[in-house]
Amino acid sequence: MRIVVNELHHTYPAGVEALRGISLVIEAGEQVAMVGQNGAGKTTLVKHFNGLLQPTQGSVHIGDWDTREHAVSQLAARVGYVFQNPDEQLFTKNVHDEVAFGPRNLGYSPERIERLVEDALALTELTDKKETNPYDLSSTWRKMVALASIISMDTPVVIFDEPTTGQDAANIARIANVVRVLRERGKTVITITHDIDFCAENFERIIALAQGRVLLDGPANDVLAEDELLATTYVDPPQLTRLGKRLGLPVTVRDEEQFLAAYREFIGTEK
Amino acid sequence: MKDKLTFYIERESSLHRVNPLTKLVMVFAFIILAFFGPGFWLPSLLVVLGIIPLSFLGRVQREYFRTAGRLLLPVVGFLFLMQSVFHPDVGDSRVLLQVWVLNVTVEGVRFAYLTASRIFVMVSAFILFLLTTHPSELMSDLTRRGLSGTFAYVITATLQIIPQMQAKASTIIDAQRSRGLDTDGSFRKRVGALLPLTGPLVFGSLVEVEERAIAIEARAFTSKLEKTSLREIPDTKLDKAARWFFLLLIVLAFGSKLWPS
Repeated sequence: MRIVVNELHHTYPAGVEALRGISLVIEAGEQVAMVGQNGAGKTTLVKHFNGLLQPTQGSVHIGDWDTREHAVSQLAARVGYVFQNPDEQLFTKNVHDEVAFGPRNLGYSPERIERLVEDALALTELTDKKETNPYDLSSTWRKMVALASIISMDTPVVIFDEPTTGQDAANIARIANVVRVLRERGKTVITITHDIDFCAENFERIIALAQGRVLLDGPANDVLAEDELLATTYVDPPQLTRLGKRLGLPVTVRDEEQFLAAYREFIGTEK
Repeated sequence: MKDKLTFYIERESSLHRVNPLTKLVMVFAFIILAFFGPGFWLPSLLVVLGIIPLSFLGRVQREYFRTAGRLLLPVVGFLFLMQSVFHPDVGDSRVLLQVWVLNVTVEGVRFAYLTASRIFVMVSAFILFLLTTHPSELMSDLTRRGLSGTFAYVITATLQIIPQMQAKASTIIDAQRSRGLDTDGSFRKRVGALLPLTGPLVFGSLVEVEERAIAIEARAFTSKLEKTSLREIPDTKLDKAARWFFLLLIVLAFGSKLWPS
């Protein structure tokens, strides 16, 4: 499902101009990471995708829907949004019901709901915990419950707001796996993150925002190469990218594999 | 883009610079004068000659009028109406007008006006106080003067809890609507939406209580030693004089009640 943002402006009631003219297109099935300093407008922008915020000027289209003409509860069928803090949504007695809440709201058939819930629980490795009360789980697992409760809604677009904040390495790997599986299923995944390594390793496209405008938008390697521009919105490229640049590698790299390949070639040509 | 957590408006003004305790004493002086002071018009005079000019002095007049208008006028208006209509008719009162079976008497209207203006003084003096005083500043000033930390914490927490809950509630509403919860449908749908909305709010608050307790104890909250403060809160000779003046007013207000007339 294609997302089209056209000259989007948003001013909060208090008078803060959070978005100052953003235009971009996210194609169906793209994996996009949004980076930028706090207050750059990342959350404000993605909250327009499911109608939680309405444009002050400009428009947002999700597929053939203009977000101004559809309620949040309708848009929820197209755009799933995982909030940063799982505690702000968990309320049921057990994990299974929590995960089934979204698809039930969307009015799916009971068989489909059961299938989607089982699938979401398997994907987030929660199957053995489905009878547990979410509040008896550790905060990392509660985060997975929040993820599962959106994945089970089977929306073409999934938004993650800072999925890796406060998570351990094992859980970050699980979240990365969720992103990978969603990509294979052809879902659009949009992630807001300050975790530049997570962003570099899992996303093909990066959008950097600064002061309510798009600073950079393009393939991950191209964006990460612009370290000086990124610094203006307080984003540091990953260590390996910076190391590669210092070593004078001819290409921008963003993970071990790319780094080693480029470095071997580099040494080879030196000799 | 967080919502504001207190009424406080950060602004440079002479009223902002006044020591918080002085302002607090002033608020109580206004309230006690309004309730116990002599004269039918005293509460109204306190508003017109005291609180409103002070809101200009504190450069918060716009916020003051807005808050007072939204918060107070409906309540005070309703109170005025009810009191004047249902004031007991003792027999010798002059009837102003008759509505259905109700007699609106001059005494009733006078009584209603007095009550309403007293309430107005009480609430609007506090609004002015909250607009120009940061709660943490008041509390650090009071603890410096020997108020127990526990008490200060209870007050600060109470002042902040409602706006904090509001901010939290609006995030919860957003999160659940994003999961397809219909919050503006039929009555049945709305009742069904109650648990998903209040559940996280209640659980979250319980979890928060424990976290807060740990956080403040990590900063030696219950330590018996005298604590130092990072923030210097000015307390001038003028502040002291003003406090004595307001205390005197309070005594006079009570005195006027006791004085055999």
